[in-house]
Amino acid sequence: MNYMPGTASLIEDIDKKHLVLLRDGRTLIGFLRSIDQFANLVLHQTVERIHVGKKYGDIPRGIFIVRGENVVLLGEIDLEKECDTVLQQVSIEEILEEQRAQQQAKQEAEKAKLQALKDRGLTVPRTDMLDEY
Amino acid sequence: MFRFQSLDDDCTLEEEEGLVEEEDEIDQFNDDTFGAGAIDDDWQEEHARLAELDERVRDGVGGSGDVSTASLPAPARCIPSSLPPPGLEERGGGDLAESLTRLILGTDPAIAGVGAAEPDRVRLPPPSHQQAPPSTLPGASHPLLGYQQHQHLLRRGTAPLQMNSHSIWENNMGFGPVSVAPGLGAHMEDSPLMSIIKEVGLPKRPPPIRSDENRDLSERVPPPRASSPVIGSPPVRAVPIGTPPKQPMSHVLNQQLHCPTAVHVRAPVQHRYPPPFPERLSPNTLLNIANSPLCRHPFSAGVGPVLSQIQRAQLLSSQVGAFPRGGPAPPLLPGGGGGFRPFFGQPPPRVGPHIPPNHNAVRHNTTHLHPQHRRMLTQRLQSRGDRGGRVGDRRIRDPYSNLMTQREKDWVARIQMMQLQSTDPYLDDYYYQNYYEKMEKRQERDRDSSRKEHTTKLITPQVAKLEHAYKPVQFAGSLGKLTVSSVNNPRKMIDAVVTSRTDDEEKREKQVWNKRRQILYTVEKMYSLLLEVQDFEKKFIQTPEEQREALLEQHKTHTLQLYNTLREREWDDRVSDEQCLMIMSVRKGKRLVSRLLHFLPPPQAAAVVMAIARNMPALAKKDKQDQVLCWLVEPVAVVIQSLSSSALTDLLQELQGSEGQLPRVLQNKFGVTLLYLILSEGERMQSSDPNCQLMDDNRWTELVFSVTRELLNVPPSSLSPPLFTPPNLLSLFSRYVDRQRLELLQEKLQISALSR
Repeated sequence: MNYMPGTASLIEDIDKKHLVLLRDGRTLIGFLRSIDQFANLVLHQTVERIHVGKKYGDIPRGIFIVRGENVVLLGEIDLEKECDTVLQQVSIEEILEEQRAQQQAKQEAEKAKLQALKDRGLTVPRTDMLDEY
Repeated sequence: MFRFQSLDDDCTLEEEEGLVEEEDEIDQFNDDTFGAGAIDDDWQEEHARLAELDERVRDGVGGSGDVSTASLPAPARCIPSSLPPPGLEERGGGDLAESLTRLILGTDPAIAGVGAAEPDRVRLPPPSHQQAPPSTLPGASHPLLGYQQHQHLLRRGTAPLQMNSHSIWENNMGFGPVSVAPGLGAHMEDSPLMSIIKEVGLPKRPPPIRSDENRDLSERVPPPRASSPVIGSPPVRAVPIGTPPKQPMSHVLNQQLHCPTAVHVRAPVQHRYPPPFPERLSPNTLLNIANSPLCRHPFSAGVGPVLSQIQRAQLLSSQVGAFPRGGPAPPLLPGGGGGFRPFFGQPPPRVGPHIPPNHNAVRHNTTHLHPQHRRMLTQRLQSRGDRGGRVGDRRIRDPYSNLMTQREKDWVARIQMMQLQSTDPYLDDYYYQNYYEKMEKRQERDRDSSRKEHTTKLITPQVAKLEHAYKPVQFAGSLGKLTVSSVNNPRKMIDAVVTSRTDDEEKREKQVWNKRRQILYTVEKMYSLLLEVQDFEKKFIQTPEEQREALLEQHKTHTLQLYNTLREREWDDRVSDEQCLMIMSVRKGKRLVSRLLHFLPPPQAAAVVMAIARNMPALAKKDKQDQVLCWLVEPVAVVIQSLSSSALTDLLQELQGSEGQLPRVLQNKFGVTLLYLILSEGERMQSSDPNCQLMDDNRWTELVFSVTRELLNVPPSSLSPPLFTPPNLLSLFSRYVDRQRLELLQEKLQISALSR
């Protein structure tokens, strides 16, 4: 199989269903409709998929235009294997709730860890501080 | 691209006569980037045609019954998931079979039109019910389905287990159920026209009928934007100035994208005027066109209607069956319903008979590839032909597919390819070339075990770099040039113009250079002579006795020659002022003279020193930067010491020269030193020999007097410090001046009494 250089290789993927992972961690699933040389993407019938554990939920987003630099990962979804999944789909409300719970748990764990480190005389710089160099 | 379109859209609709002339201008911006002809299909024209068709259809069939039948029984959900692709279903019976044979016959472009035209007339009504693909569903009693159901159905066909998102989107989009009622009015009139076109040949501007080739455009037709197309839109109408010349290369480039193995030249006509029905038109395609709800919804309607209109257009194309749209068409299609050209779809050139249906859309000319690479590509291409059908199936039914036209895809591909263009592949792409060379060798080795490789290969354009000879336009009398910048012609910041100088100037400069060259040549010649002369002693010792005579003779001639170059005339012993000045105007020449003086016989050396003294002011003026004259001090001192009293007087006379020469001499370091040397030598003569002639020589006394006066008068600032001060100067002056003046002189010349 041959492929074209640069973003031109995406031309072959146009009008196929794709999963896009963005830099901020969001996962989008939609039909790739248009691209350009910067790998800016136009996704159609996009859903934002949230995975929590074995559950996932889709939030419909419609047409999604992604600036190319924000794409971490882009891959075609095999429509035939799409449903061969052990994951269980749940409603939007449920998944959002799950997500919230997960994040909260994570936060608490982080807090506990930080506290534990503090007790031992160690400090970990906050991640949001690290981001701003 | 989209912006272009909306703008041009408006323009086109307004003034259609202008179209033909403007064709060339439309793609100027693309031409700037890719060269002329890079983009062949004329979407503007297509668009215009599309619009015309729309109007025409509206007029023709507008009244033929309301079609938007409300929700039909939805058989979609009870359809078994193993449903084969609709395009393959042929339940039409004899009619369909017959039309199929026609279709196959019609593969030849020449008879395509005939094949397309005839069924229209003859057999349109009957198959309309049976042939629409959805009608092939087992449960469908009614041939026509609502769009939503239809879509549902289609999706099920390929992906049995449906994704959740589908239903989301289908529910949300609110596609109205659409059905098509039979009614052929519009197309009955079209068909004869078409056959006429076929017979007569293609008109310059194809008639509106052909707009059914414009599926693609309609599929991506945005809601009308007539109100404000201006903002941010490039000036499409403006004639771009200074665009690069159209290159025939771009044509080839374009082809590369389509045909990987062979360079086949498409007929130029094909680009713009494809046959009205390059692919066979199924009877019910036309039927559907005629009955399409499109007829009743003009484009200018509100957003809602337009949307649904587009959807209906898409519905039409999907109803007609499976068609190659964009990507690889399933190989089955040409035999089945695939050959049909849907109402809306790809731009004609892409689907034209030149491109095999299962070709992938984006390909490249491989003529510039490494032979081994090319071989592999063709192999892979053949193997690829079998696959991809399934993928195509799914895509075919996607109503939103090809929102990005082939043109735009090509554009992106070309942009990327341009970055990889290389003129010297071995220089730019050394590893690529070597890789394939190596691979070739390896394959030769294990040819027997020809295993298939499944590596991915980057396609690179091994195209010779296009020559972009860019000539900005310049208007007569204008100050600058008008430049249009593009990828290939970045705007020039400075455009240097070569101005031709007048002959006079040139001649003068040439003369200056000739003179300088002449001087340097003379100096060079003298140097080689000098070196000979310098080497004389060594040679003289080494040569045997009997040959010494000859050598001596030779040495004498050499010396004479050296001097002769300085002489004015053969018979005159006087050194030429001109020659002296000329030679000593270059640094090399001054050094030459300083070395030369040693080897000249005393009279000649004296003559040279005389000439130097005579031309002292001029030499001093030219020596301001170099300060090389000081090199002369030592040899000149030697010469002066050998001079007779009269010669010394002459020398002083020469140095003093005419009125006003001495002050200038005094400004120069060498001049002052030379003067001191002369005076010192005179003093030495006088003090050593009381009966010296110099004492009796009034000339000498007079000269010394005047020199002393000059020295007293000259301001200290314009008296250059000498290289050295001879100690006996004070005693010299004491002979000629009184005590007061002597002290003054002493102070001025900084002659220390002690040094005496």
